[in-house]
Amino acid sequence: MKLTNIAKASIASLILFSSASSAEVNLSGFSSINAGKVLSGTGVEHYGVPPTFLADYPNVSAYEEEWDFDPESLFGLQISADLSDGLSATAQVVARGVNEWDPEFEWAYISYEFDENWTIQAGKKRLPLFYYSDFYDVGYAYVWMRPSADNYTWQIFNYTGMNVLYTTDIGDWSLAANLYTGKEDDKENKLLGEFFFGAETREIWKDILGGVVNISKDWFEARFTAMQYTNERYIDGEQTTWDGKDYRDGSFYGAAFNFDFENWFVLTELSRLDLDETFDSMMITFGYRYNNFTPFVAYSDFDQDAEDGENHNTQSIGLRWDFHSSAAFKVQYDKVEDNSYGLAVAGDSESLTFGIDLIF
Amino acid sequence: MNLLKAIFASTIVLVSFSSIAEVSVIVNTANNSTIDSKLVKKIFLGKKKAFPNGNKVALFTLPDDNPDSEHFRQAALKKSNSQYKSYWSKLAFTGKGTPPKKATDSEMINKIKGNTNAIGFINSDKVTADVKVVATF
Repeated sequence: MKLTNIAKASIASLILFSSASSAEVNLSGFSSINAGKVLSGTGVEHYGVPPTFLADYPNVSAYEEEWDFDPESLFGLQISADLSDGLSATAQVVARGVNEWDPEFEWAYISYEFDENWTIQAGKKRLPLFYYSDFYDVGYAYVWMRPSADNYTWQIFNYTGMNVLYTTDIGDWSLAANLYTGKEDDKENKLLGEFFFGAETREIWKDILGGVVNISKDWFEARFTAMQYTNERYIDGEQTTWDGKDYRDGSFYGAAFNFDFENWFVLTELSRLDLDETFDSMMITFGYRYNNFTPFVAYSDFDQDAEDGENHNTQSIGLRWDFHSSAAFKVQYDKVEDNSYGLAVAGDSESLTFGIDLIF
Repeated sequence: MNLLKAIFASTIVLVSFSSIAEVSVIVNTANNSTIDSKLVKKIFLGKKKAFPNGNKVALFTLPDDNPDSEHFRQAALKKSNSQYKSYWSKLAFTGKGTPPKKATDSEMINKIKGNTNAIGFINSDKVTADVKVVATF
């Protein structure tokens, strides 16, 4: 089990708090047991990649031509201690099939509600780049097998730092804003190390400063975000340089718009990362709720603005079936086109995945 | 005429059926805040965490398998059980909200009676003078 110091500190405080008489401790959790296989695929011959569907970049959830339950199955537990007067401590541990079910802390933070509008939080949290980043692991909370892989490609998933949340409402509208700052030093980055470079890669995102604004009313929700950071990288212990500098600055921008009518819904998301080059992603989903069944179609695209830059897209069709009040069955077909030669990721593929998501 | 009778009779059945299913949103009798159906919706979706009088809300729900829960979520919040649970799991696992605490039919009145900031709901037939009704669905 990998424990960061902050996670250790938070757990220690959770234990301390829960033995205090005022604390109310809540245990909750979620699980996804998913299986899938590549029906047909090209792989990337010149990189020695067999036919593969990379369903989740940061965790390297890769399906190949044999049925496999490991890539996207996970089990998460959340313990939350409410100390009254607005103070709480929360930790979330997630064990993934793709990491041999080793439990790891994904969240470990303390939270203090000043008043109805303002909350301050500190600790280890999910980096809220995308609409679905925060609850990416909670499959029950969204319609697909997973938020589209073309969008959720960035190698850093968490950060340690602090954030301020502000919520208010104006007539029928609700507004939620989040300002965050922190750092992530990932000693063994999985996506870069295992999948792309084939050598131990230490990926650092520091001086992270970002903001998220979310506005919503009954049938409409919009989310805007911007984030900047400084990237440093060591491959096999040797520091990477870019144009002679040992760091580079990145800026991320995103917007998501969701529309929910009686039974129809439309989900959209756009993002841009300006690093040395510009990387754009988009996704759109149409869904229809019919009793306990929600069929959907989706399209997503990732495009690096460069000659033979990284470029892939996915067409998906699937079904969610809420067969139980706390569990859903999902099945999804994905067709991936990988258009780059030099920056090919996993090649073209067609794949089938299915599974059960539950919460408790 | 027979057709009219049939329509009339089935209307009565439907109306009485819906009155059986009616759910009352209840608060502590000491709660003097004005609470309308829009505020009920915001409170039960975690978008509003305090009453207009400034007191922090203590939120209660009947269990998921109680038909009155399903009726309330659909009528007041415009969400099916699974949409409601997806929505709250998204808040609960991202540090943005704490889902309502569960109380059974027999516990609900006492929970509301025992906490000046409590808000919950119960089948209208089970409402007693120990609580105040602020909205019905």
